[in-house]
Amino acid sequence: MGKEVSSKQALTAAEDIVADIGDFGDSVSAEVRFHTGGRRKNAYVFIELEPTKWRPVAEWLCDSKGVDHCSMITGIHWPDKPEAEWQVVVHLMRTGVFDPGFAVKVENDDLGSKNPRIKNQHVSETKVDVGSLSGNRIPIELEISMKLPSTREPKVPSVADIWIGADWNEKETWDLVGIDFEGHVGMRRVLLPHDSPTGYHPLQKQHKLRYHDFNEMYDDPQGFTRKPDDIGRVK
Amino acid sequence: MAEMWISMGPQHPMTHGLWTLKVKIDGETVVDTEPDLGYIHRGVEKICEARDFTQITTYCDRLCYASANTWSHSWIYAAEDLLEVEVPERAEYIRLIAVELQRIASHLMWLGAYCPDIGSLTGMVWCLREREMMMDLMQELGGSRMHYNFPRVGGVKRDLPIGFALRCRAKLKLFLDRIQEYEAILDESTIFLIRTQGVGYAKAEDMINHGVTGPNVRAAGHDYDVRWAHPYSVYDELDWEPSVERPSIKGSDCYDRYRVRVEEMQQSALMILQALDKIPGGSETYHEPGDPAILAKAPARAAEGQTGFHHFEDSRGESMFYIVGGGEERGKHPYRVSIRSPMFITIPYASKCMIGYKIADIPAIMGSFDPCIGETDR
Repeated sequence: MGKEVSSKQALTAAEDIVADIGDFGDSVSAEVRFHTGGRRKNAYVFIELEPTKWRPVAEWLCDSKGVDHCSMITGIHWPDKPEAEWQVVVHLMRTGVFDPGFAVKVENDDLGSKNPRIKNQHVSETKVDVGSLSGNRIPIELEISMKLPSTREPKVPSVADIWIGADWNEKETWDLVGIDFEGHVGMRRVLLPHDSPTGYHPLQKQHKLRYHDFNEMYDDPQGFTRKPDDIGRVK
Repeated sequence: MAEMWISMGPQHPMTHGLWTLKVKIDGETVVDTEPDLGYIHRGVEKICEARDFTQITTYCDRLCYASANTWSHSWIYAAEDLLEVEVPERAEYIRLIAVELQRIASHLMWLGAYCPDIGSLTGMVWCLREREMMMDLMQELGGSRMHYNFPRVGGVKRDLPIGFALRCRAKLKLFLDRIQEYEAILDESTIFLIRTQGVGYAKAEDMINHGVTGPNVRAAGHDYDVRWAHPYSVYDELDWEPSVERPSIKGSDCYDRYRVRVEEMQQSALMILQALDKIPGGSETYHEPGDPAILAKAPARAAEGQTGFHHFEDSRGESMFYIVGGGEERGKHPYRVSIRSPMFITIPYASKCMIGYKIADIPAIMGSFDPCIGETDR
């Protein structure tokens, strides 16, 4: 009925990337995963890799696979897992339809106004015929996960020169989670005040919410009986 | 002439919220810019770690005051991805109606704020008049005016009220008529055209590489919309095309970004009218077992390291929630919630966009990207 990328197209595109990624060796593993909620169980690509392989894989995705959009970079702190205390998760997308030669031109000749750009007087519009999308044109979602062992200075390579949109995502990840990005130029606080203490990254798990003991929260939503417990707590 | 840095904001009509744009100028010409965000950072991601999956909806409403419904729906789809919840079809239709009404209201709020930016106060008053109709309709659904708290994991809060379809059709038809008045007042206003045409050029390839999405890239001729690229809800059952502008060879200017939003409002109104015709009958608008049952299953579904995410077409671009489950230890609470805000990425790009133009063009260029600081700072 309406315009949509079919599940089959998304699956084909995901399988294509997973099949080609084998060239990077054992430290890069990829699989096709499926969303589990909603009406459509769309396919997406999940890639797990060593941080040392991140730059080559990112360049390959951008140059050979047409992955043109860095949606989000975020970090997770797992203090209970010494072998993988830090995790960096990157969400990439391929919007993949920007090619005037490929798009279908729709001519619209309702002219007759002094201003040719006013509604109903557009000379032509660019619309995409979704059913005919194939190969690197099909929009696809990718999730990339990197795990780092326990360290006081977690670092992964920066990709801000490949997708400039990664720049502020990386700044935010360093600001809130404390994971640094090697090669990133101009790292600074973006959401926290500029004079925040060095080494203070609030999404690390040692920083507790004031009433973090969430079971108590339901027993005593107002918090009246818990005031003395504040003593000695990290705020 | 010597170059100097000046600071626009945090209190400035151009900013549409609290943030500072540091501008380096040479005479009247902008040479460099640097945005400074974080003035209203509330730590929503951290707060979410101490709330259960159903309570977080309320916080997501408050991410953006102009577009509350789209943000809570964005969260709900991600939570359903993590918790593997099925949604009745009627609920999906009601959600679509709520989201598209919100998209119209949000674009009207944008247009209402943009008109005074470039010197047309009348436009603001007219837009807020129509926005009131949309808010009345959403108030019927959610019960409040700004923060509706309407969707639920597994459905919606309540069914459509009696007579909603009738009132909705009447108001949308009136709205579709009145939208032509905006076109008349703005498209034929020489001042509006002078201020918006030929300033703030942005190319689609640049924008996608910088992470800009939504109406801003569609204004530059890039026919990309999460609603068809990664289909969710019942958008595939409606007959619609995203509104795409045909930019000049230099890219899209402020006028293109205005046009694409006006067309998108019409598109959304037509989608709602279609959805009202096609909505299946019955009273099933909620995943039957209810919130406690969903939360009881949460520790098993949201096992440690299990993730859920969902790309969503917000009024300002692609928004996303990424949720990590914590297993038995965290119970019904997520271990980590991460929010992708479209405007957090767009503001740095829009700031670079104005280099080379005059200081007087800054409000016109910045306003045309539709900044919302609530979601930017989270």
